[in-house]
Amino acid sequence: MTPVKRDILIGLVLVAAACALPFLLPGRYIVTQATLFFVWAVVVVQWNLVLGVGGIFSLAQMALFATGAYATAMMGFYWKVPMLAAIPLAGVVAVAIGMLIGLACLRLRGPYVALLTLAIAQVMYVLIVNDTACFTSTGGCMPLFGGVRGIGQFGDLGFRALMPKSWHVAHYFVALGLLVVAVAMSIVIIRGPLGLAFRALRDNPGYAVSRGISRFKYQLWIFAVSAFLTGIAGGFYAVQFRVVGPTVFSFQLLLFLIAMIVVGGLGTIWGPLLGAAVLMLADEGMKELSDYRNIGLGLLLVLFIILQPGGLVRLFSRKPKPAADAKTG
Amino acid sequence: MDVFIQIVASGLTLGAMYAVATVGLSLVYGSLNMLNMAHGAILTLGGYLCYAGIQHLGLHPALALAGAAALCAVVGLLIYLGAALPLLRAEGFETNIFIATIGIGSILENLMLKGFGPYPIPQPLAVPGHVVLGNVHVPLQNLFILGVAVVLMAAVAFVLERTRTGRAIRATSMNREAAQLMGVRVGRVYAQVLAVSGALAAVSGVMISSIATLSPVMGGDPMLKAFIVCVVAGLGNVYGAVVAAIVLGLLEAATQYILGVRWSFATLLLIVILVLIWRPYGLFGRTQVVRL
Repeated sequence: MTPVKRDILIGLVLVAAACALPFLLPGRYIVTQATLFFVWAVVVVQWNLVLGVGGIFSLAQMALFATGAYATAMMGFYWKVPMLAAIPLAGVVAVAIGMLIGLACLRLRGPYVALLTLAIAQVMYVLIVNDTACFTSTGGCMPLFGGVRGIGQFGDLGFRALMPKSWHVAHYFVALGLLVVAVAMSIVIIRGPLGLAFRALRDNPGYAVSRGISRFKYQLWIFAVSAFLTGIAGGFYAVQFRVVGPTVFSFQLLLFLIAMIVVGGLGTIWGPLLGAAVLMLADEGMKELSDYRNIGLGLLLVLFIILQPGGLVRLFSRKPKPAADAKTG
Repeated sequence: MDVFIQIVASGLTLGAMYAVATVGLSLVYGSLNMLNMAHGAILTLGGYLCYAGIQHLGLHPALALAGAAALCAVVGLLIYLGAALPLLRAEGFETNIFIATIGIGSILENLMLKGFGPYPIPQPLAVPGHVVLGNVHVPLQNLFILGVAVVLMAAVAFVLERTRTGRAIRATSMNREAAQLMGVRVGRVYAQVLAVSGALAAVSGVMISSIATLSPVMGGDPMLKAFIVCVVAGLGNVYGAVVAAIVLGLLEAATQYILGVRWSFATLLLIVILVLIWRPYGLFGRTQVVRL
C-alpha cells in the first residue's frame, strides 16, 4: 500500500467514526467540545505545515487565526456581510497578512523568526486591548476592534434559526468538513512537490538550491496556504461562539496548541491531529483541578519534548528516525 | 528642556532595566544557542522572592535582593540540568529547548499565580525621595536602578574580560567545538551562564517591579522587550545588547511622550522589523550569512 493510499484509508475511517459520534453520544456538551477540537485541529494541522514541514519557526499562527476571526466579525458587524461570504473573505485577509509576515521573516533564521512573529502577535494584542476611542456608538461605545470586550452581534451561519434544537450538530459537521479539507491539504503538501522541496532544502540545502529550488518562493507559498485555512477556522470560531475577543491572542492558548503539535509529532501528517485529541482529552480530565491545569499542561509539554521528542506518532511508526518516517509514512 | 530631561531620565531607567534583563538572555544565547523563554518567569520569581524576603521573613532589603538572585540562579541551574542537558544530547536542540522553556515558564508562572495570587502587589524595596534637575523631579528610585545596573554591567564585563571563567565563556560562544578541544569544560560553562542569567533576571525583576507592581504575568512584557533588544543587537552579542537596550529605552520614553503609551510598543517593533530587513543578523551580529 502506498503512503498516500494508507493516509486516505486512515482518513476515511476517522471521518466515518466522526460522523457517527453525534448520533452515538448526542449530548450537547460532547458535540460542542468535539467541534472545538476540530477547530483547534485545523489550526494545528496548518501550523504544522509551517513549523514542521517548512521548518519556519513562526509563532504567528494564532495571530492569523485571530485575523480571520476579527475579519469575519468586523465584516458582519460593520457591513452586514452574510457569514457564508465573510468567512472565506476572512481567509483571504489572513492570507494577505500571512504573506506580509512571511515577507518580513524571509531573510531571517530560526530564533529570529520566532521572536519577530511573537512580537507581531503581541503588538496586535496590545493595539486592540489599549484601544478605548469610540468608533461607533450603537449599543454603547465600541472601539474599531472591539477593545477588551470584543465584537459580537455579527450574525451566524443560519443554523440557529433553521434548527434551534440541533444547530450545534450542524456546526459540528461544518467543522468536521473544515478539518477534512485541512488534513487533505496537509497530505497533498507533505506528500507532494512542496513537501519534497522542503525535504530537499533540509537534507542538502546547497544541492537543492543549485537545482533551482527557491527557499523564498516555497516559504511564501507555505505561509499563504496555511494562513488561508487558519483564517477560515478563525472565522468559524467567531460564528460558533458569536463573539470575538482579544483572548484568542492569549499565551496559554498558544502554549496549548504548540503542545498539541509537540505531543503528537512535529512534521507528520497524523501527529498534530493525534496531539490535538490527546490534549483536548487531557484538558478535559484536568478541568476539575482548575488551578493546576496550566501547570499540568506545561509539565506535559516539557516531559514530551525531553523524553519523546518525536511525539506520539513515533510510537506507531516502524522506522526509528523521524526523517525516514516522513518518507515512508 | 525640561521635557528633554524627563525623557532622558525615564529612558535611561528603562534602558538600564532592559540591559540587565537582556545581558543574561544574550549570554545564554551566545554560548548555548538557547532562547530561554522562561526568562520572564524567572524575572517575576525574583521580584516575588525579594518581596517575600522583606515582607514575610523581615530580611534587610539588600539581603532579600541577594537571596532572590541566589535562588533564581539555582532555578537557572535546574533548567540546565533538567531541560538543557538532556536536550543537548538529541538533535534539533534550538527548537526543542525553545519549546521546553515555554513550558517551564508557564509552570513557573502558574505556580506563582497559585502562591501569591493574581492581584498586583507593590514591591517593598523602594528608595524614597527625589532630586530636582531644572524643573524636573527625578525619583531617587530611578537613580538607584541606574546605579545597580551600572555596577552589575561592570561586574559582568569584568568577569567576561578578566577572569578564566569569562575567557571560557567567550571561547565557548565563539566556537563550541574548538573550546571543547582546548579543554574548556563546556558543560560547566553552560551551567555557569544559566545561573548568572537567572541571577541577573532576578535583579531586573526586582527593579522593574519596584517602579511598576508585582504580578504573576509582569515578566512577559520585559522579556519580549529584552528579546527585541537581543534581536536588534544580534543574538549573543553581549556588549551590543547593552547599547541597544539603552537606545531602545530612550526611544521608548520618547515615543511614549510624543505618540502616547499605546503606540510605543508598536513603534519599537516597527523599528526592529526595519532593522532586521536591513541587517538580518542584527546591528552588531556576527555576519555569518551563508548565501544559498
